[in-house]
Amino acid sequence: MSRSEISTQPLVVKILGGLALAAVGALTGAALANAIEGRNMPWADSLALAMAVALITIGVLSAITMALRPSTVPKGCGVLQIVVFLLAGAMFLAPMYASAFVTADTVFAGIVVLLAVQTVANVMLWRRADEMLRQVMAETSAIAFWALQTALFLYAAAERLGLVDTISGWGLTGILMAVYLVSSIAAAARRGIH
Amino acid sequence: MNNHLRTLRADRGWSQADLAAALGVSRQTVNALETGRYDPSLPLAFKIARVFEQPIEAIFSDTGA
Repeated sequence: MSRSEISTQPLVVKILGGLALAAVGALTGAALANAIEGRNMPWADSLALAMAVALITIGVLSAITMALRPSTVPKGCGVLQIVVFLLAGAMFLAPMYASAFVTADTVFAGIVVLLAVQTVANVMLWRRADEMLRQVMAETSAIAFWALQTALFLYAAAERLGLVDTISGWGLTGILMAVYLVSSIAAAARRGIH
Repeated sequence: MNNHLRTLRADRGWSQADLAAALGVSRQTVNALETGRYDPSLPLAFKIARVFEQPIEAIFSDTGA
């Protein structure tokens, strides 16, 4: 093993990087808010659109990170992570927008294909991940499962009692993805991954 | 669990990316190990010991927790 360049970045570069990411987040959030407000969308569609934008943004930022600092992800995992994020974002957009161009049957068939590809990518990602990334994935699943099953039980009980309105499956899926994303951020932050 | 990974790596003039490549993990994993945010599995601990050519107990120490 040979000596290489010092890998730590100067503080000013870190600050500028953080500011750039904050600017991207602010612009994306503002554009999303305008899009949702202007179209008077149902809350389930608004949430799904927000999740799609978040997933695609994470995928694009992951691609930029991988290009600039390839050692931050286990070898072979970077592209798979990006594929998983982008496909998840596409699958949230398709039910809302693709039916304007093709039939609902075709859209659903496309979603099934995308889901199959994403499942394979997820399995490959798990197999190629190093042990800490696997632990982060496992902890994310555990946190999300605990939060979602608790919330689902409380909601189901309240719905049975007639205290709350019924939420569509589409709305529940948006909530599930939001909880999963927050869980993944919490699990990653515990290991110092930002 | 405490460890002396950062010191051992610095003594050899290796970057985190160098050590990550030697161990077959990501740089983030090396950073998490050095900052005590992640305790390695036994196989990874043995691999670290081999890379630094030291016994495991010279690299890792129990905090008693």
